[in-house]
Amino acid sequence: MAKRRILYFTAEDHYLYRSAGAGLELETKFSGDDLGVTAFREHLRGLKGELFCVLVDVAGEDFHEDQIPFLRGSDRDAVLQRRLAQRYRDTRLAAALSLGYVAGTRRNERLLLASFTNTQQLAPWLDALEEAGTKLTGVYSVPLLAPALARKLGAKGGRAFVVTVNRAGLRQCFIEAGRLRFARLERTVDMVPQALAIFVRSEMLRLAQYLGTLRVLPREGPPVQVFVVAPRAQRSLFEQVLASDSRLVFHTVDEGEALRSVGVRRAPERILGEALYLHLAAKKPPREQFASSAERRRYQVWRLQRGIVAAGALGFAACALYTGAQWVDALQVGGRAASQQRDARLAAAQYERITAGFPVTQTSTENLKVAVVEFRRIAERSVSPEQAFVHVSRVLEQFPQIELDSFNWGVGRPDAPRDRPPGAPPDAAAAKPGQSNAAEMLELSGRVNATQRNDYRAITAQVQRFAAALGAAQGYELVRTQLPFDITSEGTLTGDIGGGSAESGEAPRFTVTLARRLP
Amino acid sequence: MTLTREELRKLLLPGLAALALAAAGAGMVWGAQQSVRSAELRLAAAEVDRKESTERLTRIAEEEREVKEKLDVYQQLKQLNILGEEHRLEWADAITRIRNQRELLDLRYRVDRQKLLVSAPGKPANVDFYASTMKVELALLHEEDLLRFLADLRASGNAYYSVKQCVITRTGQAATGASIVPRLRAGCEIDLITIIDRAAKR
Repeated sequence: MAKRRILYFTAEDHYLYRSAGAGLELETKFSGDDLGVTAFREHLRGLKGELFCVLVDVAGEDFHEDQIPFLRGSDRDAVLQRRLAQRYRDTRLAAALSLGYVAGTRRNERLLLASFTNTQQLAPWLDALEEAGTKLTGVYSVPLLAPALARKLGAKGGRAFVVTVNRAGLRQCFIEAGRLRFARLERTVDMVPQALAIFVRSEMLRLAQYLGTLRVLPREGPPVQVFVVAPRAQRSLFEQVLASDSRLVFHTVDEGEALRSVGVRRAPERILGEALYLHLAAKKPPREQFASSAERRRYQVWRLQRGIVAAGALGFAACALYTGAQWVDALQVGGRAASQQRDARLAAAQYERITAGFPVTQTSTENLKVAVVEFRRIAERSVSPEQAFVHVSRVLEQFPQIELDSFNWGVGRPDAPRDRPPGAPPDAAAAKPGQSNAAEMLELSGRVNATQRNDYRAITAQVQRFAAALGAAQGYELVRTQLPFDITSEGTLTGDIGGGSAESGEAPRFTVTLARRLP
Repeated sequence: MTLTREELRKLLLPGLAALALAAAGAGMVWGAQQSVRSAELRLAAAEVDRKESTERLTRIAEEEREVKEKLDVYQQLKQLNILGEEHRLEWADAITRIRNQRELLDLRYRVDRQKLLVSAPGKPANVDFYASTMKVELALLHEEDLLRFLADLRASGNAYYSVKQCVITRTGQAATGASIVPRLRAGCEIDLITIIDRAAKR
């Protein structure tokens, strides 16, 4: 929090206080004449750019209630300025305090116009602040701060009086619904505590009667709370004197207790009730004040500067907060990853320990498996012709009249169309799912002996029986049978019955092709 | 509130400071998001790794049995010189020896250049299967000669012998009393398969 200086302005002397944190210090004191102004100007040298505010505690303060139509924005400002100009000759230090809206269709706004009867006494001091290049935060009168003090002292809405004994005199402020309605300052001479308490009571009764006359305070109604801040060690005496009645209920608050209530921790010893207002002016100044925008220009630019930096800082803080949450997430995820990695390492180490007991291999386990599996796959699809020889030999034993000329064995694809009788069972040599397309192919060429060459029927029957026998066992399937002559409707059938060529001795030749699917 | 040039100049530094703070904040957010993303990737990888390790550990008993069983085959392959570089001289020696022992009448052969049959992906390196096709022609007295030749060839080792084709035909030559005449002629194509395990220790 920036350090602020408050010029406490009374009708006689003026006091410059410094507020920092919860402390309040008297920096210096100035007389109210021209010498005081000169001293003030001297004092302000070297304080360029410092924050200042003025707290006025003088008797000549005017309060006037007025109403304006329901308006907003610049229209309202224009009307307010006109009303202030109508009411006060010098509007340099004039303010309009809103008191709310009148219930009804027009919703007029109630205003409390306030100013000082003699603004000239303040002018040289404000000019000195302007010339010194200080930042004027505002010009406040003690009554403007009274609603805030009332809240601190425990006033809860309704009507209430706040009474303090200040250096300037006895300050009485009337507050209605949390808003200032009236205030007055009665000068006090040096009094003994009991006389002061009696004076407070009599002044309160006078003020209540005055407000009742003005109809600001209704004659009938609940009693009004009066919060009296008693000077230090005089509370009990004040309580004795300030007896409540049907109109006023007194609550006496010790000055020390009141200071704690508003947040003052350190204050000069000889300060009176004004310490409460000084602290509030420094720490919780109300929006309403008397200085014009032009007089507060430096302060407003300063606030804008601070606002911009604060917005940046706020953005940074939000980012930092989000970043923090993300880092927590990242740490948690990282922790889980580390845990998983640890588990994986443990499992791998355990695996290594166990595999260390495996038989010694000359290659990696993976390659060992791959080499053997692939070798087996190749070996399963490699066949030897021995089985085919054995199969053909066994069949040949049943057909002594058949003689083979060539035996062609190979591994290939059974692409040729098959000779299958109608209604035959499904193709045994067809590839099943998971099987390869490779097949063991066997092509046999031979002759049929001991049969007349022109006995087509007998030769056809013998070749077909032979082929059927070959294709009936060991997983072989008949792929094609080529007879010595073409008996199909598409071919040409020739014959030489009774001629000499049929007995030439050349036995009719045939070809049988078989296939056996490999795994 | 309309600002003068001088007032705007006063706001320049706070504006820059605010921008710097906002940029720093955005940088922090970006860094944190990158960190979260990186941690998530690490977690995903670690989860996969852990799952694989755990599954491998669960299968270890089965793997031990599998390794033992496959090791026997592997060692046999090595013993038979199927695993390793080709031994062409040993092949020639073996064929000569078989011809002499079986008293084959005529035997001609030709081994073509080696070609890659299949490359099986292994870890840390592939296992390559190579094949060299041998074309052999034999004159036979009886078909049993061919079967004995093939059996002897297999027993000689130095490769895995995968017979691709065999054709036997009659020569048509009549037997004479003076000399032994081959009655059959056989022609075969045989793949001589060898395996190169790139991860094998020398």
